[in-house]
Amino acid sequence: MAESETPRIITPPNTLKSKVGVGGPKAVDPAVLKRAEEAIANLGDDYLDWVQEDIKKLEDGLSALKAAKGGGRDLLDTIFRVAHEIKGQGGSFGYNLMTLIGDQLCRFVEDMAEAGPPEVEVIGLHVDALKIVIANRMQGDGGQAGQALLRGLEKVVAKIG
Amino acid sequence: MAEYDLSNLSILIVDDSAPMRSILRSVMREFSVSRTLEAANGRQALDILEKSGADLVIADYQMAPVDGLELTKAIRMGSGRIDPYIPVIVVSAYTETHYIFAARDAGVNEFLAKPISANHVYFRIRSVIEHPRPFVQAKEFFGPDRRRRDVIIEGPNRRGDNAEAHDDGERGEMQNGDSGNDAGS
Repeated sequence: MAESETPRIITPPNTLKSKVGVGGPKAVDPAVLKRAEEAIANLGDDYLDWVQEDIKKLEDGLSALKAAKGGGRDLLDTIFRVAHEIKGQGGSFGYNLMTLIGDQLCRFVEDMAEAGPPEVEVIGLHVDALKIVIANRMQGDGGQAGQALLRGLEKVVAKIG
Repeated sequence: MAEYDLSNLSILIVDDSAPMRSILRSVMREFSVSRTLEAANGRQALDILEKSGADLVIADYQMAPVDGLELTKAIRMGSGRIDPYIPVIVVSAYTETHYIFAARDAGVNEFLAKPISANHVYFRIRSVIEHPRPFVQAKEFFGPDRRRRDVIIEGPNRRGDNAEAHDDGERGEMQNGDSGNDAGS
C-alpha cells in the first residue's frame, strides 16, 4: 500500500458483511454456541495429551537449568514460551488452574536476567504444581486443594521476588 | 444477539500450535463455516492468501517465522493478490496493554484473549461484521482507524448507561483491542 504524506480515510467495501446472512438454519444461535463449547470440551482428552508434551518440555528446561547451575535468558525464554502456551490453553478445557499457574510462571521468569538456585527451585515448584493439577484432574478452581496449591506458589514467589 | 450465518465465509486460521488450530477448527465446524484454511505460521498464511484469499484471518500473536503482527503488516501492505483490507483477529495470551497496543498499531482489527471460548470467538467475529472501521492511510500506518468508539463491551455494564469508555486498562475494553483514546492514527 503506497504511503501518503497526509492521512487519508478510506472506507473499504464490507465484503464480510455482504457474505454473511442473518438467521436461518445455519445461523450461529445459542444452541450452536453451546455445541461449539461442547466441541471444545470434547477435545479434553486430547488436551491431556497435549499438555503432557508441554510439561515434558518444562521438565527438560528445568533439567537444563539445574545442569547449568542456573541459567541465562535463552533457557528462561524456553520456559516462558512453554508456560505461556499452557496459560493460553488450560482455561479453554476447564483447567483454569493451569492458566493461572502458567501465567504466574510467565510473570516470574519474564524479567529475570538469570536464574540462580532459589529461582530454579521456584520454577521447579511450578512445574510440580502443573503436574499435580493434571494428575488429579483439578478442573475449575481446583477446590480447596487447588486454591491451597495456588496460594502456596504465590507465597513462594512473593518471598523470592 | 445477532445470529449470523457464516457458512459462506472462508476463514484462515494461523497458529503454530496444532492444539490451538484444532480448537479453532472445531469451533468453525460448529459455526458451519464452509471453508476453513490453516497455516502454521505467518509465512504459510501469506502463501495461502496469495493463492486463494480468505474473508477473515484469525492469527496467533507469537509464531516463527513471521508472527501475527508481521503477518498483519504484510497483509496491510497489500502485495500481489492479497486484499489489504482483510479483517484480522489476533489471538494471544499476551493480554497486557502494550501487547494490545502493538497489535492495534500493526493494523489488527480485533484482539481475542486466550484461553478462548466459542462465545468469545463468535463475539469477535460479530464485532468485525458489525463494526467495520474505516482505514487510515498515513505515512507510517495503514490499517483500521485506531480511534474507535463503537466498542461492544462483554458482560454487565458496571458503569451505567451513561458511562463512557476510556483508557483505564479495564480488561473488557482492552480485550476489544481498543485504546479508547484519540491519539492513535
